Amino acid sequence: MNLNLVVDKTHRFDAIVVGSGMTGGMAAKELTEKGLNVLMIERGREVKHIEDYDTALKAPWEFAHRGKVPVHSAEELWANNRFGTLANEETGPFFTNDKQNPYIEKRPFDWIRAYHTGGKSMHWGRQSYRWNRQDFEANAKEGLGVDWPIRYEDLAPWYTHAEKFVGINGHKDNLEVLPDGFFLPAMPMYSPERHFTEMMKKKLNRPIIIGRTANLTKPQPWHTALGRATCQYRNKCARGCPYGAVYSSLSGAIPAATKTKRLSMLHDTIVTEVLVDEKSQKAKGVRVINQNTMEVSEYFASILFLNAGSMNTAALLLNSKSSRFQNGLGNDSDQVGRNIMDHHLGVGANATVEGFEDDIVFGQRPNALYIPRFRNWGADKQPNYLRGFGYQGGASRSDWKRGAGMDGFGANFKKEMTQPGTWNIGFGGFGEVLPNPNNRMYLDPEKKDKWGIPMIVFDAAFGENEIAMRKDIASSAAEMLEAAGFKNITTYNRPEVHLGLGIHEMGTARMGKDPKTSVLNKHNQLHACKNVFVTDGAAMASSSCVNPSLTYMALTARAADFAVTELKKKNL
Amino acid sequence: MNRREAISHVAILMGGAFSAPTLLAMEHRDNTAFTKSGSVSFQLNDTQRQIVAEVAEMIIPKTDTAGAKEADVPAFIELMLKDCYRQPEQLSFLEGVQQLQTAGFLTENEARRSEILHKIENETKELMKAYNVQQSKMGDNEDRELMKTQVKGLPFWRLMKELTLLGYFTSEVGIKGSFEYVPIPGKLEEVKLKPNQKIYAY
Ligand SMILES: Cc1cc2nc3c(=O)[nH]c(=O)nc-3n(C[C@H](O)[C@H](O)[C@H](O)COP(=O)(O)OP(=O)(O)OC[C@H]3O[C@@H](n4cnc5c(N)ncnc54)[C@H](O)[C@@H]3O)c2cc1C
Ligand code: SF4
Repeated sequence: MNLNLVVDKTHRFDAIVVGSGMTGGMAAKELTEKGLNVLMIERGREVKHIEDYDTALKAPWEFAHRGKVPVHSAEELWANNRFGTLANEETGPFFTNDKQNPYIEKRPFDWIRAYHTGGKSMHWGRQSYRWNRQDFEANAKEGLGVDWPIRYEDLAPWYTHAEKFVGINGHKDNLEVLPDGFFLPAMPMYSPERHFTEMMKKKLNRPIIIGRTANLTKPQPWHTALGRATCQYRNKCARGCPYGAVYSSLSGAIPAATKTKRLSMLHDTIVTEVLVDEKSQKAKGVRVINQNTMEVSEYFASILFLNAGSMNTAALLLNSKSSRFQNGLGNDSDQVGRNIMDHHLGVGANATVEGFEDDIVFGQRPNALYIPRFRNWGADKQPNYLRGFGYQGGASRSDWKRGAGMDGFGANFKKEMTQPGTWNIGFGGFGEVLPNPNNRMYLDPEKKDKWGIPMIVFDAAFGENEIAMRKDIASSAAEMLEAAGFKNITTYNRPEVHLGLGIHEMGTARMGKDPKTSVLNKHNQLHACKNVFVTDGAAMASSSCVNPSLTYMALTARAADFAVTELKKKNL
Repeated sequence: MNRREAISHVAILMGGAFSAPTLLAMEHRDNTAFTKSGSVSFQLNDTQRQIVAEVAEMIIPKTDTAGAKEADVPAFIELMLKDCYRQPEQLSFLEGVQQLQTAGFLTENEARRSEILHKIENETKELMKAYNVQQSKMGDNEDRELMKTQVKGLPFWRLMKELTLLGYFTSEVGIKGSFEYVPIPGKLEEVKLKPNQKIYAY
């Protein structure tokens, strides 16, 4: 695929990108398209687009355990398995073996990792939303964390840039809380969902929208040029999409970067340290170790983009010690590894819908409904917590699985199971998490993994704000379902959810105006080492409540643009 | 020396040739509950197998479409209990099969068998209530993993129903016989259900 690997003896490039996931892919694409020779370094194995999607086209009966997680797999992927089904036969082979890649939980942290080409962009739920204006202003207004050094306007053109390239379907809903963007045609709502939407407008004056996702409903020329085709509505995207209809680094960014002929890639290569030039105090390259051969080598470049995923990027900074940066690269503020945020989930409500018995759906929608934040927004003021949450969910008809909890067996029961059951509807919240310096990760002073890299210790937990918000997420969901006239309403609030499970972990090298209290400046440069850029979730100064990847990608494209301009001006 | 250390020690003595899962299995063998059931890896004997097959076929009998046996559901159930469940479920399943064996299930006629299953179905309601209470008590307990091995597993009938349905409706004959199988829909559209129309499976 992309192995235009001309890593010559000098090991020298214009730029090195660490990580090939959602943000690393975008960085490599932008930098190569702007003329730079880029080396992308990925710690995991190589996964080739389409060719290596081994499970993509398998029929249900071709999986020995039919979607359940075998015990041995649950034990090997013990952290991934906390999410539920990720360790099953469909996607399990893609997730990281937690036993071989252990981390330490001083307080429980659900760390979901996918070490291979494309990182977690291979498995994401594709939900893509812009932040709103207030998201960037809330920290300053409430005196929490640090103020963002940028505002919505700074990012807006880059949102458009990323949306166009990625291909996001959605509806222009004209909501201040969820700004519109460049959208491909939206996916449809189903009849009970349209009913729900109408009821919410009438009874609570609350907008419900169809989700916005990174699946190509109508590919544009620049998508087809990369070999990407229209979505076939199988909803098996996390196995890898053989049509390239779902956006991932593999289907989009890496092919685009490869096209420039300026991308080189290394796999199975763990970046262990950023090397700093003692004289100029600038970064000069990276030290790496091959995960299989244990061979150590070094690569050099004028600029570095760190996109290893928020926690690994912070670990890399902390592990990069030099005479100037004894506390870890760029860590003068002692904020590297702190302020871990995520979105808390696993709380919501379900109900059954009466009617619509004649309505079924042909195809499987890789999408859901979205209920934008309505708490602490506009006239709403919550006494018990700050910020808000959004819901994701929707309606579906129950199938034969309902039979497990039903009475009966025999010919009639069998027949009944082949018929569709009632429509069910349900929503789960994604809540904003506040920045808190005591929610942190750091490197264990003694324990090391098998490559000799210090192990990561997590010491973080939900605070009072999150816990209070969760209660409201459950009861507000029930309230909405009730207002819509649905029956058998049940709420849930999973007690075993910890930070990390939202798989939106972020905040460990926050952007800010003041080098004393933040790690990155408004261009995602390390305050203290300007040729190092961090553009994954580590950069986030607050978390909003919308899924983060689109924002990471917009920040990445913006920073890459700045980096190349500065490089050309010889400022880096 | 704790149990884990002891097992690793044995493994080293035996040439260190054990994979992590094997070690885990050995650790399980050491567990009191397992010693009681007398089996390391879950396996049914011929009579038990026959009972499971008959019960599965009674849940999903052969009609104008294939039944559970033809869809290889009995073997699937055994595989699933071995690979995807832990010992509380394995034990409660075996207990249920034993109960049927004691009741002479295999020698009874169709009507009597049906009666026995209805009775078990009724008893399972109470068992499910107890099971759910126990699950919610486990909550966020630190000893969750430990408790998991000590609590009573999901009742036999529930396991039997769940696994028969799963095995059947994800099998090739089950899917193709019961539904219109569309692996690649190509479009997304709402449709009105017509009388006797087969629904879609993907
Ligand atoms: C099941 C699931 C559902 C999700 N749903 C959504 C959603 O609906 N919407 C949304 O916005 N987000 C979603 N996400 C989150 C999304 O996947 C992440 O936000 C995104 O992938 C983060 O991008 P990243 O580049 O920071 O990290 P990743 O995509 O994880 O990539 C990091 C890469 O760096 C590599 N790496 C790590 N350390 C090193 C090192 N030291 N040296 C070299 N390489 C290294 C890793 O192997 C990996 O390939 C979901 C994630 C999952 C798993
Ligand atoms: S639903 Fe669409 S994007 Fe997802 S795997 Fe199928 S074709 Fe690909």
